[in-house]
Amino acid sequence: MRHEHIETNSGLMIVLILLVISIGGLVEIVPLFYINETVEKVDGVRPYTPLEMRGRDIYVREGCYLCHSQQIRPFRDEWLRYGHYSLAAESQYDHPFQWGSKRTGPDLARVGGKYSNQWHVQHLKAPRSVVPQSIMPNYPWLLETELDYSDLASRMGALRATGVPYSLTQQEYDANVSRFGKVVADQLDISQAQDSLMKQAHEKDFDGIPGQITEMEALVAYLQVLGTMVDFTKYDEGYFTTFR
Amino acid sequence: MAQSSALPVEQYNYDIVRKFTIVAMVFAVLGMSVGVFIASELAWPFLNFDIPALTFGRLRPVHTTLVIFGFGGSALFATSYYVVQRTSQARLAFPWLAEFTFWGWTGGVALGALTYMMGFTQGREYAEFEWPLDIAITLVWVSYFAIYVETLRRRSQPHIYVANWFYLAFILAVALLHIFNNLAVPVSLTKSYSLFSGVQDAMTQWWYGHNAVGFFLTAAFLGMMYYFVPKQAGRPVYSYRLSIIHFWALIFLYMWAGGHHLHWTSLPDWVSTLSATFSILLLMPSWGGMINGIMTLSGAWDKLRSDPIMLFLITSLSFYGMSTFEGPLMSLKSVNALSHYTDWTIGHVHSGALGWVALVSFGAFYHLIPRLWGAKLFSQTLVYVHFWLATIGIVLYITSMWVAGIGQGLMLRSFDDYGNLAYTFIETVEFMHTPYIWRALGGAFFVAGVLVMVYNMVMTLRAARREQAAIEAKLAAKMAKA
Amino acid sequence: MFDWLMWFTHMENSKPLALVLFFGAFCGILIYVFTGKRRAKRLESYKYIPLDDDDPPRHSTAQAGYHSQSRKVMDNE
Repeated sequence: MRHEHIETNSGLMIVLILLVISIGGLVEIVPLFYINETVEKVDGVRPYTPLEMRGRDIYVREGCYLCHSQQIRPFRDEWLRYGHYSLAAESQYDHPFQWGSKRTGPDLARVGGKYSNQWHVQHLKAPRSVVPQSIMPNYPWLLETELDYSDLASRMGALRATGVPYSLTQQEYDANVSRFGKVVADQLDISQAQDSLMKQAHEKDFDGIPGQITEMEALVAYLQVLGTMVDFTKYDEGYFTTFR
Repeated sequence: MAQSSALPVEQYNYDIVRKFTIVAMVFAVLGMSVGVFIASELAWPFLNFDIPALTFGRLRPVHTTLVIFGFGGSALFATSYYVVQRTSQARLAFPWLAEFTFWGWTGGVALGALTYMMGFTQGREYAEFEWPLDIAITLVWVSYFAIYVETLRRRSQPHIYVANWFYLAFILAVALLHIFNNLAVPVSLTKSYSLFSGVQDAMTQWWYGHNAVGFFLTAAFLGMMYYFVPKQAGRPVYSYRLSIIHFWALIFLYMWAGGHHLHWTSLPDWVSTLSATFSILLLMPSWGGMINGIMTLSGAWDKLRSDPIMLFLITSLSFYGMSTFEGPLMSLKSVNALSHYTDWTIGHVHSGALGWVALVSFGAFYHLIPRLWGAKLFSQTLVYVHFWLATIGIVLYITSMWVAGIGQGLMLRSFDDYGNLAYTFIETVEFMHTPYIWRALGGAFFVAGVLVMVYNMVMTLRAARREQAAIEAKLAAKMAKA
Repeated sequence: MFDWLMWFTHMENSKPLALVLFFGAFCGILIYVFTGKRRAKRLESYKYIPLDDDDPPRHSTAQAGYHSQSRKVMDNE
């Protein structure tokens, strides 16, 4: 066969191009869905509660991922600065993933529990009031805007369709109870979503304004859960390396 | 009526090329200005003005979308429609559909930019469009493919020229990438959740992200290069056989390299090693293409002294060579450990985007404008002015990003004598303030160059219109006499 | 019956196989493209395509002379 056959036949050229460009993607992506070792088996990782999920939506909306990564690499300096390196399991319910590609600000994969709620509220409202050299924008409107949680069911329903175990049926609920325990299973139940959102907001009062559920409430709830789900004291370091 | 029938009907459909050329320049000015603005926000954060739509997080996708898809995409539509007609010696197929690609593409990009400012985003870099816009873009893209292939099929030239292979691969690959990376479950018109999650989502996104660079910003612009460099030089490309190797090797290898954006993450090591290997291999076809382009001038180097358009084209190839050397270097795991998450990546992208993509497009446009509007370029000197403004801008930009990126990388990994971290994160942010100012300045230089080009273009178009009016008046006078 | 397929799923088998296949294809293309004087000449002749496109329209009768001249250029290739 001469190369001219390809050059003079647009159909053949299209087929060959498609063939040549498909190989790389197929080899690298398809196995990730089938190889069991891709995602570590660890306890503790659960889907986000309705409040945290709404906080995550705001995180995506404001484009936080463009300056903050959520992916700690296995280096000594990152260990000292941020903590244990990130596991694939920890983002298994993240649609979309928010690993990020740039650290104009620090990594947030394990920011949960490092600062108080008040610190986060103040920092989001006016970053330079707590970190004078910060170049982060102010987000004052988060505290002024009421959180819209009228469409929780459709949001959780969509996530359920992608494979996140939010429960709709009794069977799914029972499965969640045995997998995550009753407290968490209640929070993952779509029919109780509004109640559990309000309950979490009132109990923890993330935004410091009792009786009000602002966007700040949701965002801080999300930030405070980041990286806290896995109890690393339960695992031997060697265990995770078997998955890499 | 009498006048219009007196004018010859154009052999090719240049109308659509003219439209895309103009809109590409509009998007260039808008997108690059937003770029300078957000660069300034990083240097002086008060510029965020506490207005949601103007914060860095919302404007950054506006910048990337307007520049990559608005400017780059329109430049590719313009040049590909021109090249496919000229090298096939056939008029563009389905003119009404071509009109649809124009309005669909321009409208889609503009609407996308507005919706980002309102906070509607998929949260995936370079694929932030929400699902209704994704579907609209898919329709435009399928139409583009249909027009392109049908025009090729109507060619009166037996051979499909190299430039068209690259454009064709670009159209096919982008279709594939766009569709798979945007699979999502919608919640409402303005919100959806990605079908994949975590590590699979990351790999899909960077398979897309890297090949958006590989096919949108490289393969397609190589198609541009394979036509406009020989055309402007008035001599054929250096080696046709090299271009065969260049083409197949490039499109094969690029698709493997996406994983290098995820080194040292939770992505399994085998994928990341494989990607790094292919990224290194990618150096060969990239440089093959660069050599092929630059050596086209072999024996006629004096053209660089007399022809500013040639200067644009050859300099763009040099930047292409430089950034395709830097890329494989940064894909090495050891280098990546330092460079990843820093401004080095941003600098690398811009040496490709400003140095290669934008300069080769400007060169092609300067070549096109006189041919599309049938008038001599208003000023040759202004082309030189543009060239130097652009080059100084790029050099300022990439050197300041090297300083910021490598500096931050080194600071973050340095320890004091007791094994504690030597710097806090915020100290690195403080350190980057000066490079950020220089970067904004570099960007401003580049935008200034673009404005000079726009001025030059407007003046050329006005002269063309005046000339046209004069001819028409003459014709009318003749008619009146007769 | 399909047990032999399992052979491919082992990385230590599939890696060298892929290397041999891809590298072999690459060498094959290189040899095809860069050997043979006549083939070289033939392939290189196509690079003049973009320089041919200043032809006037084929249906234009007014410039027929021009037209036939450009045809000759193509015959030379």
